Amino acid sequence: MKEHCRQILQEASLFMDREQLSPTERAHIQQHLEECKPCYERYGLETQATALISRLRGHDPCPDKLRSQIGDLLRSI
Amino acid sequence: MAEPTAVNLSSADKDRFVEDAAPLLDPLYSAALRMTRNPADAEDLVQDTMLRAYRSFDRFEPGTNLKAWLFRIMTNAYINIYRKRQREPQQISQEEVEDFDLYQELKSHDPQWEATPENIVLDRLLDADIVSAIEDLPEQFRFAVILSDVEGFTYAEMAEIMDVPMGTVMSRLHRGRKALQKRLLQLARERGIVKDQSKQQPTT
Repeated sequence: MKEHCRQILQEASLFMDREQLSPTERAHIQQHLEECKPCYERYGLETQATALISRLRGHDPCPDKLRSQIGDLLRSI
Repeated sequence: MAEPTAVNLSSADKDRFVEDAAPLLDPLYSAALRMTRNPADAEDLVQDTMLRAYRSFDRFEPGTNLKAWLFRIMTNAYINIYRKRQREPQQISQEEVEDFDLYQELKSHDPQWEATPENIVLDRLLDADIVSAIEDLPEQFRFAVILSDVEGFTYAEMAEIMDVPMGTVMSRLHRGRKALQKRLLQLARERGIVKDQSKQQPTT
């Protein structure tokens, strides 16, 4: 992978993570992804892999027993 | 486990804590489970976190992010108490992780492969596979991935929670994701979701 591509992909991760980027930075990333197919595909894979992890959101809710135990404990002090 | 001593809170503040923190028990427990990797320790950790938070709630600045504040307390509690009990998973060498390129891995096995929506391979993995892949990560990578990709914290919030600079957050997250992708690809191959090079069928 070219150093330039590596840098663009690093910035693209910031974009994917909804971190602040200037309009110029965003345009720069977007333009490269349109022109460089491997980067476009790598970015797509990165997005997919990250979305996969987000599947675990809400996967293991707090057990009711623990919830009421904590409630009782806090009320007791 | 922290001792339940008296707290210095008005009854209005007590009510506010209980009310505001209640919906956060789900993400806290879920993250505690990923951190400790067993339900008994996760329950202790969450209870301990809530006690610590309750006792220092007078120092919480209203209007700031309560979820991030609780996660910071939980991360500290984990490091101080529970980590000593844990057996750490095998450490992944930095070099090995930095070099991993999921795109190259998929492409080298099938040069025709393209990252189109029909070709999404990893999403055929089971949730249990994702859990086990996360739990296999070294602690610092594991926390970064949980905080960012499961809980949706920003880099700045993660820096607060883990008490490290933003640059460290970004590098841990990057390496954590790479390590995770490597493990997920390995699982996908074991499940036959992605063909192994040695078993590859000729493409028609």
